[in-house]
Amino acid sequence: MNDIKKTDEPTPALLEVKDLAVEFDTYGGVVKAVRGVDFKVEQGKTLAIVGESGCGKSVTVQSIMGLIPMPPGRITSGTALLRGREALARDTIDGKKIRGAEIGMIFQDPMTSLNPTMTIGDQIAEPLQVHKGHSYRRAFDEAIRLLELSKIPEAGKRAKQYPFEFSGGMLQRAMIAMAISCKPSILIADEPTTALDVTIQAQILDLMQDMQQETGMAIVLITHDLGVVARMADEVAVMYAGKIVEHGAVRDIFYRSAHPYTLGLKEAMPTNDPNKQRELKPIEGSPPDLFSAPAGCGYCARCPFAMQICDTRYPDGFFVEKQHSSCCWLHHKDSTRRPEELYFKGNDL
Amino acid sequence: MTDISSVDFTPLHGYREVQAISRPSLSYWQDAWVRLKANKRALASLFIVIALAFFTVAGPVFWRLDPAQQDLDQVSQAPGANRAALIVEDYEPWLGNEFLPGQGLRLGEPATTQAVRLQWDVLPGANGHRVYRNIFPVGPELAYGIPLGEFFDNDTLFFEDRLDLKPSRYYYSIVPLGPQSELLDGYQTIEVEPMRVTTLRDALERGLVDESTQVKVGDQINLAWHPLGTDYLGRDMLARLMAGARVSLFIGVGAPLLFILFGVVYGSMAGFIGGRTDQLMMRFADFVVALPFLLFMILFKIAFGVGPGESGVFPMLVALVVLMWPATARLVRGQILQIREQGYITASQLLGAKTNYLILRHMIPNTLGVVLVTITFAIPNAIFIEAFLSFIGMGVAPPTPSWGSMSNEGIKTMLTTPHELIFPSLFISITVLALNLLGDGLRDALDAKMRNTE
Amino acid sequence: MWVYVLKRLLQGIVTVWFIATATFFAMHNVPGDPLLNDRAVSEAIRTNLEAKYGLDQPIGTQYFIYLSNLVKGDFGISFTQENREVNDIIREHFPISAILGVLAVVFAAAGGILFGALTAIYRNRLPDYFIMLLVILGISVPSFVIAALSQLTLVTLNNAVGATILPVAGWGTILHMLVPALVLGLGTMAYLTRLMRSSMLEVVNSDYVRTAKSKGVPPARIFTKHQLRNAILPVITVLGPSIAAITTGGFVVELVFAIPGLGRYFVQAVQQLDYTVIMGTTVFYGAFLVFMVILVDLLYGFIDPRVRLEK
Repeated sequence: MNDIKKTDEPTPALLEVKDLAVEFDTYGGVVKAVRGVDFKVEQGKTLAIVGESGCGKSVTVQSIMGLIPMPPGRITSGTALLRGREALARDTIDGKKIRGAEIGMIFQDPMTSLNPTMTIGDQIAEPLQVHKGHSYRRAFDEAIRLLELSKIPEAGKRAKQYPFEFSGGMLQRAMIAMAISCKPSILIADEPTTALDVTIQAQILDLMQDMQQETGMAIVLITHDLGVVARMADEVAVMYAGKIVEHGAVRDIFYRSAHPYTLGLKEAMPTNDPNKQRELKPIEGSPPDLFSAPAGCGYCARCPFAMQICDTRYPDGFFVEKQHSSCCWLHHKDSTRRPEELYFKGNDL
Repeated sequence: MTDISSVDFTPLHGYREVQAISRPSLSYWQDAWVRLKANKRALASLFIVIALAFFTVAGPVFWRLDPAQQDLDQVSQAPGANRAALIVEDYEPWLGNEFLPGQGLRLGEPATTQAVRLQWDVLPGANGHRVYRNIFPVGPELAYGIPLGEFFDNDTLFFEDRLDLKPSRYYYSIVPLGPQSELLDGYQTIEVEPMRVTTLRDALERGLVDESTQVKVGDQINLAWHPLGTDYLGRDMLARLMAGARVSLFIGVGAPLLFILFGVVYGSMAGFIGGRTDQLMMRFADFVVALPFLLFMILFKIAFGVGPGESGVFPMLVALVVLMWPATARLVRGQILQIREQGYITASQLLGAKTNYLILRHMIPNTLGVVLVTITFAIPNAIFIEAFLSFIGMGVAPPTPSWGSMSNEGIKTMLTTPHELIFPSLFISITVLALNLLGDGLRDALDAKMRNTE
Repeated sequence: MWVYVLKRLLQGIVTVWFIATATFFAMHNVPGDPLLNDRAVSEAIRTNLEAKYGLDQPIGTQYFIYLSNLVKGDFGISFTQENREVNDIIREHFPISAILGVLAVVFAAAGGILFGALTAIYRNRLPDYFIMLLVILGISVPSFVIAALSQLTLVTLNNAVGATILPVAGWGTILHMLVPALVLGLGTMAYLTRLMRSSMLEVVNSDYVRTAKSKGVPPARIFTKHQLRNAILPVITVLGPSIAAITTGGFVVELVFAIPGLGRYFVQAVQQLDYTVIMGTTVFYGAFLVFMVILVDLLYGFIDPRVRLEK
């Protein structure tokens, strides 16, 4: 932590998460799913959190929303400040005003994320009734308007239907309408397109961007799809084994990857440049066991750049440039290997 | 970061597998066994079930007492009660003592389980007397108990009670009768605790004493030992529980095995053949399900007509099989239809597998778990039904003991000798409980959906 | 929708026909002459009965007479009680069993849903362990033992207070019904509690409840609007068979508590081999159960939109 010095900012960020750590009690022992995560979300911007399954990205945002089941979950440390106010998983009156009102959320599988025995309109109207105190009638009319806004045809009729009468893409539109019903300042989208057809994916992403332009809200996008990141994000945080390993603007992450893991992700992704011929390369091995979190860098065992120190000490973060940090010993001033090796390899892709 | 030396930055080479996959691969049944063993409740239940099986099968070898034999000296004897008995002379009729000291209702002679001899004086205003016996004090509501005898004149002032006497506390009352033999006020009551006695002849007959031992009148001997007491006919509870276990478990295990076997055959046939036959077969099963179950169990029992001397076990077995197979048939059919649609069956077929192979390798192993779980739940259910029917007198015919019929007999004397109800119902409860918990454990252990979720 | 209802009703009628046929042939199989037992009827009645039921005719004709009587709603005349129609017997005794049964079903359903929801919400905490222990006992202890024990408790209670708080047996007032209905419903309540618990656990961990939380819906509203309604659905599907189990399970409770219901009368009729009463009661119970199951199924259609719209 002491290596990272936050740049002076005149106003507090919209959402600032500091040193968030989450554990789960399971039969096998305690899983340290999130191990100290920091990030900020700026007004009207999109932050993408990227990483493979099980890296803790969903747990991170769910704990901010207070959706972690406790027990077995437990937030062991950290704060989340919404406009400077504490907001982390508080089940207080304050916390409820945040959930659904200040922060909206959409989930991966729209098929199971909506109540099967409640009409779509009722479900969209619910946050309006809860947070704005609208009457049922008024909230339902507003729900129809929101459905129209989400480009659902015949919204008036659709609002009276049940989730099983909708297609997956339609449901995700309805989810978005529901999440933004109270005009939140942040929309958290937890893998919003993973369960959808490719053609539908683009439409949903478009819709999210339209909504963002209209309302000026910030988006926190959880995904493992670098294509989605490139299309949507302003800023990217790459997560690995419960920690953010690289953080920076989307251009920096893609064109000057400063962490071997980010590079590995890129190598595993197909390119659309017809001039470049290369094979997709998977990252060998598997992520570390979070039952017994490693002392050093979690990526060490799979890293082609690994050094002795990587196995024993965690690199707490080095600035590559202003606004671009990477947790990798390569950036240490005494390192025998230079980060340029990374950039060189990255340019090749 | 002053402690970092250049050595720390020596490159590490190559890909290193830090995490070997340590869990060995287990077959379906091995995995299920591991899961079952981890489930403490299910494992404990398994031991209880094994112990019960031992009790039923091997019990009679160790406790060789005829469950039908009556010990008339010890009727409705609670477990662990005092077994000491005094040897007395053979019974001789009694005609009252002429000049007996004392006043009011009194004992003519020391009270024994052979006879309680009462004498009294004429009660004021009495035209006759009625003698009552109760196991509770009379109390303000004048609960005298059972009437033993009545006399419509004031000549007979003695009574000898020989009715089913036990060495416990009795309250004898004498109530004056009016001219119309109506009850008058002014009763007298006496508390009596008869002493347990037996005659020398009886003791010799039952093998309680040897000819050679010099036992004479006035000596004290111990009556036969009944570890769990006796029932209302003086039959040994332990022996009857063992015999009852054989009946209850025979029905409880036999019937499920039979109807599940039939259900599996029926269901898998319907599932395999499919089409119209399947529809017809399943519609028939639906009809059988719609029959009001308990009423038909009883109906079948009458239809079979249990004659004298028959136990009624066989009709009950048949009725259970006839009425209970459809649930299994439905389950197995559903399972077969589901498996038929699975990708691995198609894959296997594409690789050239024959029907026999498919059945042997895929269908049977994949339905076996479900069937096993069904059996574990069907057994307690069948035990329950047997107990239920025997309890309302529609099950096994007396004197054949079963836990249900024993409970039926026990409930009548629930207030005075609760052990006659407690033991058989405890056995039913523990058996059903253990089998239910074992079934829960088995289902969790065998459920493929639950695998790899933890 | 109406087509579906009609179809179900037709199916129900066919099922009742099957029950009636099975009853007829089962009873016909009874060894011995039904009119020749120790409670022998007089020669005149005998001839009348033979004529009425065609007992001297071949079995096919008898079956036909039986069915046509059934269609007319005529279950015949009791064999043991002169001039008493089976219809009268049912009319007199069934309402008592029905009231007891309805009360028991209400106890079982309300208790099952309430306790099931509680155990799921307090999962792996004290209320869960405590209720589940009771549930396991409720499933494992036979109803007659529970009936006997509750009677014993009532006796002790009344003795301790010195007045009759709740009557120990008999029938008449609402006070007579409470304990027997509770005892009768207990086994089903235990079963429904287990079902409700697992269904509620599934719902509590479901994605849509998480969505509702993310919307900031207060817990009480999540419970009523999202969890309860979805968790109750599987419970409702088994309610039909549960009603069947409870109504026919009434024998024991009626016997132990000396309630003059149809179940107790049926047992009596069986002991006296009163054929018409046995057959009439069986067919009547069968029909009652078939249509209860249909009713519950239709009710389910109104609650679950997925089923409602498919029809």
